[in-house]
Amino acid sequence: MIVLWFLIKEGFRGLWRSNYAGAFSIIIIALSLILIGFGYVAARDTLVMVENIRSQFDITIFIQPKVASAELENFTKELGNIREIERIIYVSTDSAAAQFKLEFGEDIFDILDYNPLPPSFTISLKPPARNLISVEEVAARIKKFSIVDEVKYRKTFLQLLEKYQRLIFVAVVSAFIVLTLISIVLASNSIKMTIFSRRNVISTMKLVGATNNFIRAPFMIEGTLEGLIGALIAAIVIGLTFYFFNNYLQSFTGYRAIVSYRFYGGLIGLGSLIGLLGSMRAIRRFLE
Amino acid sequence: MITFFNVSCTFGKEAGVKNINLTINEGEFVFLTGSSGAGKSTLLRLIYMDLFPEKGKVVIRNFDSSKVRSSEIPFLRRKVGMIFQDFRLLEDRNVYENVALSLYVSHYKTREIRQRVYNVLNQVGLGHRVYYNSKELSGGEQQRVAIARALVKEPVVLLADEPTGNLDPRVSSDLMSLLTRINQNGTAVIVATHNYSLIPRVPNARLIQVNEGEIVNPT
Repeated sequence: MIVLWFLIKEGFRGLWRSNYAGAFSIIIIALSLILIGFGYVAARDTLVMVENIRSQFDITIFIQPKVASAELENFTKELGNIREIERIIYVSTDSAAAQFKLEFGEDIFDILDYNPLPPSFTISLKPPARNLISVEEVAARIKKFSIVDEVKYRKTFLQLLEKYQRLIFVAVVSAFIVLTLISIVLASNSIKMTIFSRRNVISTMKLVGATNNFIRAPFMIEGTLEGLIGALIAAIVIGLTFYFFNNYLQSFTGYRAIVSYRFYGGLIGLGSLIGLLGSMRAIRRFLE
Repeated sequence: MITFFNVSCTFGKEAGVKNINLTINEGEFVFLTGSSGAGKSTLLRLIYMDLFPEKGKVVIRNFDSSKVRSSEIPFLRRKVGMIFQDFRLLEDRNVYENVALSLYVSHYKTREIRQRVYNVLNQVGLGHRVYYNSKELSGGEQQRVAIARALVKEPVVLLADEPTGNLDPRVSSDLMSLLTRINQNGTAVIVATHNYSLIPRVPNARLIQVNEGEIVNPT
């Protein structure tokens, strides 16, 4: 307990003694976390936007003309049994004509004297099934019904959406990993400078019989504190930016970034981790 | 207590030590003498295992250089006190903190640390300088703090590498008297020096002359 208290005290003291080198480490960590933080919010909201677009995706089923209502009822029941389907909307020939008039401003009967528009169903799928494989599978199953004339969906659109969503996801994860690693290396290098300036402490500790863990601990505490302070600065900068600019952003783009306490908690955790790992990496060289 | 078995440890062609066979017993006072670069410091570094032999082995109590693991070296150093020409004190700490560091690393309790530090500082004549910063002390006083730091852990041997190198003759003489008193209390003392005028200060000391990495007068 006494040793632990001594090591914690040494860690805080080290931070105080590190002066400019310590401040530099804190700034490096803060800048890295600001980048990571903004990048995370932007990527997260982009993915949410893509998911929203995907939720509006639907399949249209055109029915053969002059189908008996009993058959339609039966088909509706069959659709209800497909577990991937979330919502079914029936569009009768009359509704289709009304929709035509609404969209094109002309009455179909004025043009053709009869209504060629077939009855149809518009279905949307449950979130887990909103992918190309499931959509193709559901469409194939529906096509097998004899009353179905045609099944239509925007295949190319879905393909593009999936491709870009995957791309965005890979880009976000890679950027996150790369930025975190860069932060660790940068933090580690600046912490190395602080440790270098106090290498006499390390050699004296070795002389009096300190174990490597005993020598390492105060520097790890110091690094974690630097990470924590850097993260707090980053959290304040990100928080204030969203606080002051969200209204402008919303009025121009309709987009408003929402940042939760969990995000700030994560940022502080990540900062502390960067400081801890950076100091562990930095001290290793001096203990060899 | 300390035995060198046919030890060689070189850095290039000239420096280092060659084929050293030597035994130092408990409670002995030993002078290692020789010119600069003769290999005196190398012998001391081999004792506190800052260096390892290329050939042969050094055994200090139950620590054998050929078998010791790096994780065991701190435990050896808790049994071996060291002082240097440049004192190697932590300048941003006071006298108490410098001395107490030796005990914190060995996980002593606060009360015992305080008691031991005050005792040892009184023993080296620095009871009145406990809370002075090490930078505020004279060279002689700084070397006494270094001795206190080495002694506070009650070592079996005290190694001194040119301990008077930065001190004037009067302070050097006082320091040798202190080392003699420490030796009389049962701690073995090994002083590496090229200052031959120190030798008569300790009449019963054993003299080992080192020249070009070899012991000239083996006993």
